[in-house]
Amino acid sequence: MSSSDVECWWSPLKETGDLTVVHVDLTPHTSREASAFSWLDEYERSRSRDFLNDGPRRRYVMCRAATRALLTSKLSCRNEQLSFGASWYSKPFAILDRRPAPVSFNVSHSGDHGLVAVAPKGRVGVDVEEKIVRHNLDSLIDYTFGPNEQAHLAKESGTGKVDLFFKLWTIKEALIKALGTGFHFDISKIEVPSDVRMGTAGMFRFPHLSAVRWRVIYLGTDEYVAAAAHEVV
Amino acid sequence: MASTEERVRKLVSENLEVDGQPLSADLDFNSSLIDAGVSSVDVVAFARVVQDEFGIQFAVEDCTELTSLAALVEFLDARAA
Repeated sequence: MSSSDVECWWSPLKETGDLTVVHVDLTPHTSREASAFSWLDEYERSRSRDFLNDGPRRRYVMCRAATRALLTSKLSCRNEQLSFGASWYSKPFAILDRRPAPVSFNVSHSGDHGLVAVAPKGRVGVDVEEKIVRHNLDSLIDYTFGPNEQAHLAKESGTGKVDLFFKLWTIKEALIKALGTGFHFDISKIEVPSDVRMGTAGMFRFPHLSAVRWRVIYLGTDEYVAAAAHEVV
Repeated sequence: MASTEERVRKLVSENLEVDGQPLSADLDFNSSLIDAGVSSVDVVAFARVVQDEFGIQFAVEDCTELTSLAALVEFLDARAA
């Protein structure tokens, strides 16, 4: 099956340099979900049954199928040639004909929105979050943000504070997903640079990996907050 | 005195929800919070709640121990031992 055979539930969101980010529409949709399921291999179909609720299962199936469609297009291969492995910290990578594929990708989903980021080289990470106001925001700020970020957040209130919280959160999560560690890396130990906090793009370096630069792109919309990080190589 | 599992079960029912619905208190403890649909923001927030409830230092990276609630109970019991 190719992506042209079915009604797509994914669409281009951002192309910058060699990084492609697509948005995946995760609203409940019976025929799309059936099409998505048909893209999956036996392992993925079994994995989808591990999810306890319909929402998380739908997000996994529809994002994985969209990822397969995007990767088969980028790699000019058939869906059957593609499978997935996972690194030490469970970051998925693509396998083409039983060898690591020459492509980096990352996936995130929240509520009705998914994002898939793909690049031919350099590690990538992406995060999307629905803007759900949490009563424990201040506790989370103390726990996960550095002093400069906390000072910036302290100047905000109401919607502005929520928006900045999620902007910083998604940038940090995109960075640790790009790095490949996920939350094994303490996000309170890094700070989003001020130019990125104030704008929509910029460069970042992890303190313990100063030779490696990461391009950070903020992708928030009225409906969700999102960011991508891409290793500069 | 309530067991660690009972205390964690209570924290789950009071603090975690998926798609606007409270996460069931009779959740299978061997299942992953991610598989249950809990967001990363809420997993980290839950770690903070666990830290306060059990009076332990619980760093953000320890959140990785929360991949299943059974693993969390084991982690907390080991800290208390």
